[in-house]
Amino acid sequence: MNFDKLISGFFIILAMTLNFGFFYGDLSNIELHSKYELFAAIVVNLIATTLKIGDKTQIGSVLLATSLVADIQLIAAATIWTIVYYTAGALDTHTTSVVISLSGGALLANITSVILYIGETIKSKR
Amino acid sequence: MKNSSLWLLLQKMRVPFIVIVVTYTIAIAGLISLDGIEVDGKIYRMTIFDAFYFVTYTATTIGFGEVPYTFSYPQRMWVSALIYITVIGWFYGIGSLLSILQDKLFISEIKKTAFRKKVRKIREDFFIILGYNNVTKKIVGKMLAQGYRAVVIEKNPDRANELVLENYVPSVPILEADIYDPKALELAGIKSKYCKGLVSLFENDNLNLKIAITAKILNSKIPLAIKSTTKHMTENLEDLGVEIIENPFEIISQQIQMLLTAPSLYKLVRWMHGRGDLRTMAFHLPEGKYIICGYGRMGHEIKNVLEKNNIDAVFIEMDATKKNTFSKKEQGEILFKDADDKEVLLQAGTEDAVAIIAGSKDDTTNLSLLSIARKINPNIVTIARENDIENQALFHYANINYVFMPSRLLIYKTIAALIDPIVDKFIAHAVKQDETWAKELLGMLKAKVGDNPSIYKLFVDDQHARALAERIKRKESIKLETLTRSRANRDERNPIVALLLLRKDELYLLPDMSEITLEYGDQILFASDRDAIEDIEYIAENIHELAYVLGERN
Repeated sequence: MNFDKLISGFFIILAMTLNFGFFYGDLSNIELHSKYELFAAIVVNLIATTLKIGDKTQIGSVLLATSLVADIQLIAAATIWTIVYYTAGALDTHTTSVVISLSGGALLANITSVILYIGETIKSKR
Repeated sequence: MKNSSLWLLLQKMRVPFIVIVVTYTIAIAGLISLDGIEVDGKIYRMTIFDAFYFVTYTATTIGFGEVPYTFSYPQRMWVSALIYITVIGWFYGIGSLLSILQDKLFISEIKKTAFRKKVRKIREDFFIILGYNNVTKKIVGKMLAQGYRAVVIEKNPDRANELVLENYVPSVPILEADIYDPKALELAGIKSKYCKGLVSLFENDNLNLKIAITAKILNSKIPLAIKSTTKHMTENLEDLGVEIIENPFEIISQQIQMLLTAPSLYKLVRWMHGRGDLRTMAFHLPEGKYIICGYGRMGHEIKNVLEKNNIDAVFIEMDATKKNTFSKKEQGEILFKDADDKEVLLQAGTEDAVAIIAGSKDDTTNLSLLSIARKINPNIVTIARENDIENQALFHYANINYVFMPSRLLIYKTIAALIDPIVDKFIAHAVKQDETWAKELLGMLKAKVGDNPSIYKLFVDDQHARALAERIKRKESIKLETLTRSRANRDERNPIVALLLLRKDELYLLPDMSEITLEYGDQILFASDRDAIEDIEYIAENIHELAYVLGERN
């Protein structure tokens, strides 16, 4: 068993599942989306990104790219939420949908990342 | 990947990044889950943003205080713990970053990237020079002076710094790397179309051979100037297809041969190398008995020359321990130094010798030998080998009759062969001629042009001689003599001597100017004065001037 592979696999998949957990639910109702889950998703995504850094292979670069996309989308969602919350006091339906769909985009990136990760694992002979 | 330095940085920053993310997360999670104080009858709990804000300025030790409200005691207890976690995590991150920035590997990666960028930016012809020492330093200087660029690879950081301090204009990129590393050669631009040659003049023949092989594999089109000190190595290099093979000892024996039998030829070659004019007397080697100290590679070459000219000579090997490395026959012929210098010199018969050559590898030994020899025989002609250019002043004040400097010969040979291949070709063919030929040419040059003629090269092609090239392409027949006419009066002849004409595979030494017709692609070497050279340039470039000297217009 490769301990490094275990760690990075764990974080890559956890990043996707947390992201999905936040994204799942009515697009227009912020009540159904936990801010703590978004926070956790961002943290785990950042860790997953860090673990992918420094791999100079072709697949490593693409994995890093997907992670960076997910990070940007999730951080953008959190930033919009924070700004609107502190300036307007509460989120309207439009902003809510923006926040949730941003996280939806991040979810796509995370799914791509997981598919690539699985593909690479299957391809390797050991 | 192009930016390996950035990747290295990122890879090494992995753990510190994760440490920072994790410590922040723990701190933020604690803050948002703890109850704050009561505000307006309600317990205030921090939002995620509040917590992030607080941790951000606390971890970086900026510390704005307790916001948005004064903390409750459970919060304060958590904060005291989180300060230790986050501040340590943050400092660990910064510390790692700083140590990576100082890391030798990282710095060398950065330097490599900068070097590659500099080499790529060069849009002029350049040469790659391996190793930076007294010899290559002079070569770099001369190349820059002639309008070429140079790129240096040197392993020793001290010498590399020396180059940086030299402040060459235009700048000379330097890479600190193993000279025979193929990657270093590639970085230095051996595959670039602007690269016009590679110079490797190391003491170690095997190293030179290794470099020649590597360079030929990487780019077989680039001319290599490689030093070789033995016949065997020269053959190896020839088999590899190395264009310029420089054997300093062979050049020296060639010089001795010239000094013995053809001093005019020697004068001619020296002038071609730009080391003196035609007036300076060439040093004359007397006839009689010679003493040669040092029987190494140079000693062997000298022996061959002296034997060829039937000159009586005594050889002394300075290192008696080497005795067993010589053949039985040589052991009988050579005197081995087993006593002090004076005794050996007496034993060799210094009293009745006409000249002594001190040719050992050590400058101090050479100087002291010559001064002892002079004491024994005040009339003896002293000849020394100078190994280190730095010792020039020492040799100058020692009043030695003639000094051979293998390293200086290498410099002239390299420059001529790489930058002025036509000059090198002329010299190569000239040294095969005899004294009468040289004397005649010398006399003609002196009578026609003067004591110090300038050398001028003309390429008959669209770039360098537009007017001429145009007419030649139209199948007009133009004699070489056309170029010698004066622009002021076409019936007058400028003082010009054509030394050599190169045409594809043919070579004309001292071509007859009224006989030979110019062809496209010809390369011609002239000896002349400044004004006449200007005339040649005008006639070759300008259609009106050409028409005038051809008698087509007034």
